[in-house]
Amino acid sequence: MMSVARRALVTALGVILWTGSIVAHHSFAAEYDAKKPATLTGTVTRVEWTNPHVRFYIDVKDQAGVVTNWEFTMGAVNGLLRRGWTMKMLAPGDSVRVDGYLARDGSHLANARIVTLSDGRKMSGGTAADAPSN
Amino acid sequence: MKIARSLPWIRRLRRCAVLAALLLLAAPLAAQWLDYPTPGVPKNADGTPNLNAPAPRTADRKPDLSGIWRPERNQKCPPDGCPDNQMSEQFLDFGFGLRGGIPYQPWAAALVKERSEQNGKDDPTSNCFPGGIVRLHTYPAFNKIVQTPRLIVILSEREVTYRQIFMDGRPLPVDPLPTWKGYSVGHWEGDTLVVESNGFRNEGIWLDRKGSPLTDAARITERIRRVNYGRMETQVTINDSKAYTAPFTVTLNEYLALDTELLDFVCLENNTDAAHIK
Repeated sequence: MMSVARRALVTALGVILWTGSIVAHHSFAAEYDAKKPATLTGTVTRVEWTNPHVRFYIDVKDQAGVVTNWEFTMGAVNGLLRRGWTMKMLAPGDSVRVDGYLARDGSHLANARIVTLSDGRKMSGGTAADAPSN
Repeated sequence: MKIARSLPWIRRLRRCAVLAALLLLAAPLAAQWLDYPTPGVPKNADGTPNLNAPAPRTADRKPDLSGIWRPERNQKCPPDGCPDNQMSEQFLDFGFGLRGGIPYQPWAAALVKERSEQNGKDDPTSNCFPGGIVRLHTYPAFNKIVQTPRLIVILSEREVTYRQIFMDGRPLPVDPLPTWKGYSVGHWEGDTLVVESNGFRNEGIWLDRKGSPLTDAARITERIRRVNYGRMETQVTINDSKAYTAPFTVTLNEYLALDTELLDFVCLENNTDAAHIK
């Protein structure tokens, strides 16, 4: 059963016209649901500069005060560094906002499309986007 | 030499050199790899790179394909902007823009339909397997071409691996060992590098994210031309009668990447996606 917090997250964003996307390493649609955009705000607990995807984890507190640790994936290390990321931009303790898409399997996993850093900078998560004709 | 070694200023100089070398080694990653200026780039009057300048030539007057290349990004941006990593349409659908589409054999058409409906979840690259030589031209990673008269090597950051094109006149193998990249021999026809390849695995090679297959019957011809300083055009002809009813040719573009270097993409470092792929 979907929690109140999850349902709130799922419905938090308006419809984004972009309905399909992929990442290079694997099909986006095989792992994430483009119909479930979500915005989560929380505190970074861990950052992994690894391939095939850079990953980070944030603690998200819902309205009832319950904290859930969410995992986010971004692009590959090489792609992110070429897009202006540095390995120091995200660190445990940072407050961030993440706009992305939830995993299809309902786990606390999402694709990070836009990461708003604690200093306000908006960084692309390097998701490779498909722009379908629909 | 013995006398020189004992001189104090020589020793100081040597210590300074060692210190400088250590400082250079300790430079941040981005500075170490990503900002190194590509030497010899032709410039416009305003100092910007002139990527439309003629392609350079080697000492033996062949077109010089050397450099770091990235695939074309011809996807359209979504309506809400363009923050994402635009890719090659042919990475998704190798037959993109191909009149009449890819001439699949019936079994191949059925397989591609099934794979598409499954969102390409079984794409071998998802499990960190190689992408094959066709996807070297479309996968959104960088490749470095190292060209010598008798051997051309393509270093790929995607798999942290290599592809060899033998230019020494040897023929293609008659009974090749099947591999992910096959066996490639090349020769020049004017300014076009013509590469013939065979010896592919019968399973596991997808031409695109749709899952267009390649079989061990395949022979691939690449006609590679450095159109100008900044662009390389490759006409890829797939001749694989087991999977396709007729040979077909797709034209792909790659662009020179300046002031950068290859950066390892070791897919197996932390590939936890498989558990979530449905």
